[in-house]
Amino acid sequence: MSRLSFRPRPLDIHKKLPILKSARDFEDDDPTVAAFAAAPIIILYHLYTASGIEGNSTPSKKNAQEIPTPQFDDVETYDRDYTRTFAQPSCYIRGRGARAEIGEFVEYDLDNEDEDWLDDYNNERKNLNPEKLEVLLFKLEILDHKARERAGAITPTFIGPVPVLLQLDVAMEALQYLSVRYAVFQAVYNYWRAKRERWQKPILRRLQPPPPVNDTNPYNVFRPREKAHRLHTRRMQRRENNIQSFEKLRLVRRNLDQAKALMGALIKREETKREVMECEVNLQRVQMQYKHEAQLVDDGTTLSGFQQASSRFGSSDDDYADSDDTATEEPYFRQPVLHHRYPDNKQSAIPTLRIKREPGLPVLKRRPQQNGWKSRLPVFPITQDPEEPVLLFTRPLDPDKLVAAGIKLPPDPPIEIDATVPPFRCRGRIGRGGRIIFDRWNPLLRTPTSIGQETTHFTPYG
Amino acid sequence: QGHEELDAASLREHEEFTKVKNIAKIELGKYEIDTWYFSPFPPEYNDSAKLFFCEFCLNFMKRKEQLQRHMKKCDLKHPPGDEIYRCGTLSMFEVDGKKNKVYGQNLCYLAKLFLDHKTLYYDVDLFLFYILCECDDRGCHMVGYFSKEKHSEEAYNLACILTLPPYQRKGYGKFLIAFSYELSKKEGKVGTPERPLSDLGLLSYRGYWTRVLLEILKKHKSNISIKELSDMTAIKADDILSTLQSLDLIQYRKGQHVICADPKVLDRHLKAAGRGGLDVDVSKLIWTPYKEQG
Repeated sequence: MSRLSFRPRPLDIHKKLPILKSARDFEDDDPTVAAFAAAPIIILYHLYTASGIEGNSTPSKKNAQEIPTPQFDDVETYDRDYTRTFAQPSCYIRGRGARAEIGEFVEYDLDNEDEDWLDDYNNERKNLNPEKLEVLLFKLEILDHKARERAGAITPTFIGPVPVLLQLDVAMEALQYLSVRYAVFQAVYNYWRAKRERWQKPILRRLQPPPPVNDTNPYNVFRPREKAHRLHTRRMQRRENNIQSFEKLRLVRRNLDQAKALMGALIKREETKREVMECEVNLQRVQMQYKHEAQLVDDGTTLSGFQQASSRFGSSDDDYADSDDTATEEPYFRQPVLHHRYPDNKQSAIPTLRIKREPGLPVLKRRPQQNGWKSRLPVFPITQDPEEPVLLFTRPLDPDKLVAAGIKLPPDPPIEIDATVPPFRCRGRIGRGGRIIFDRWNPLLRTPTSIGQETTHFTPYG
Repeated sequence: QGHEELDAASLREHEEFTKVKNIAKIELGKYEIDTWYFSPFPPEYNDSAKLFFCEFCLNFMKRKEQLQRHMKKCDLKHPPGDEIYRCGTLSMFEVDGKKNKVYGQNLCYLAKLFLDHKTLYYDVDLFLFYILCECDDRGCHMVGYFSKEKHSEEAYNLACILTLPPYQRKGYGKFLIAFSYELSKKEGKVGTPERPLSDLGLLSYRGYWTRVLLEILKKHKSNISIKELSDMTAIKADDILSTLQSLDLIQYRKGQHVICADPKVLDRHLKAAGRGGLDVDVSKLIWTPYKEQG
């Protein structure tokens, strides 16, 4: 029996656990189970050591040493210092807010420097009592703070020495009501100003700017901290780890699964649509190929059988709009424009692919049929199939048609001395744009076209 | 990489410095108390071996005369803020660190003298302070306190906790812990103390959790889930588990977990956990959870 073979499931905090009250209940039928009762403790131990609490902490000697013992004494003057003047109200006490904001409470307390200076100053005669000095120093601090406020010199954190802006005469006037002799006032002002310049910061702690957030000096304290996510507060307060949240999460998950399935189906549909389109394209190619290999016929013959079927990419009646363009000497052969149109019911003998028009897909307007150019050009073996691209340059010249059109081959050049045949023979072909061209030179073979070549099917690119 | 070394060096320097107490004694109200740890008072106080605290507003001064002068003008007889609990002579005040900034800072300076791991890195604005007081005709005298984040991401219902040395071993600490959970219950949230816990803190919390949970298990007839225990007590499930596990009260029987609640066993554990502190009389708690204003 290996320990590893027995592994209790992790404890589910939502599951009701039986409470066994008596020792009898602890006994188990299966001795192996009882032997492994310690197992869950080991398995689950990691759960709460992570939280920083060690299990089974009996106060060890070590622990006791780390808990200091209080040492304290009574203060003799306590009864005098703290008077029995507190009458507890019957209702709970409400806070008033910081004293600084409310009234005239003198927040400043004289420190050692101040007391020492005062003792010195009062050496010969009682010029000034400590309470008065305290008030003066406090007021000077407040006035200077206001002056800095007006001057826009208040910084939210400590970035450098805090300047003194309060001038003697301004202070004198503002604090007239304290009825301090001018000489005394001046002495206090000078002392205060000197102290400020030594300290480089206000002497009233409340007015001292806090250290900046990025100050790493460990002795500097009370950096300002932005409360994070003020906007999220309500949501976070509402967010609770309870059954309702769990159910809601389950619902969200189900919705996401459904959305995912939907997207999958959508993708599949689009892929199928693309396959369909590829089939159609292939079909076209095959059809074109078939046409090329078929014998060329005149107008009005069975080429009409090649009419495009109800493919959405074709039409039965219209010409390619491109045809117009060729008349204007477009130098390149354009790809046939694929138009979508509504399937035409009078279709050809060739079994065709019938595809329903998809609702919502755009229907491009067909250009109206134009036969004008056809009548202008000589009658050349132009395929009747309106879908067929007019690849005239691939067709050989039909001598009969040449004759019928009244076009003669150019005469052979004179035979030169010591030759039996003319240096070249013109060979005709249909060039770009339907032009008839008679070559005297075979650019591929780099030789003059000779007799016997004129009837070969000249393909420019071999 | 050099940055890390620098931090380690300054950390060591900091540890060296903080090992040396700066302030050795303080006077606070009735008592003159020996301090335990370094506290980062403003530099102008570094030369002082003793500081004198006003018991009510917690302003600190270097000389006794300065404190006495202060007491003549200081009209505060209790912590600033609202009294939210009163039972007999025991009162609890809630102080907003933002509204009473100087008081909050003073309290932190003071508390740090007796707490090793407390940090004063950030300002007190985002904290609430719960000041426990004994009241008489001289005023409401602080015996201990705990602080709490206004908004805790980790469901902390307590940041720092301290019973002032002269008042330790009287049950105030346990009262503070119990009180923190009463607030959590009123908020409808489970809570847990901020980590790391001090040694004394861990002991106290173990004792509290043991007492609360085992009392329920003694009385409970049928089965119960950890979640239910959590809902009843506002104690986090992890803490419940760790407590029950450390007492060997969760076992695996016949393919499921069970709670062993033999009354004799429970009583043994309860005895070891120590008696409870002063009880919190919930009927005397008049309080609504903190709400951010505007």
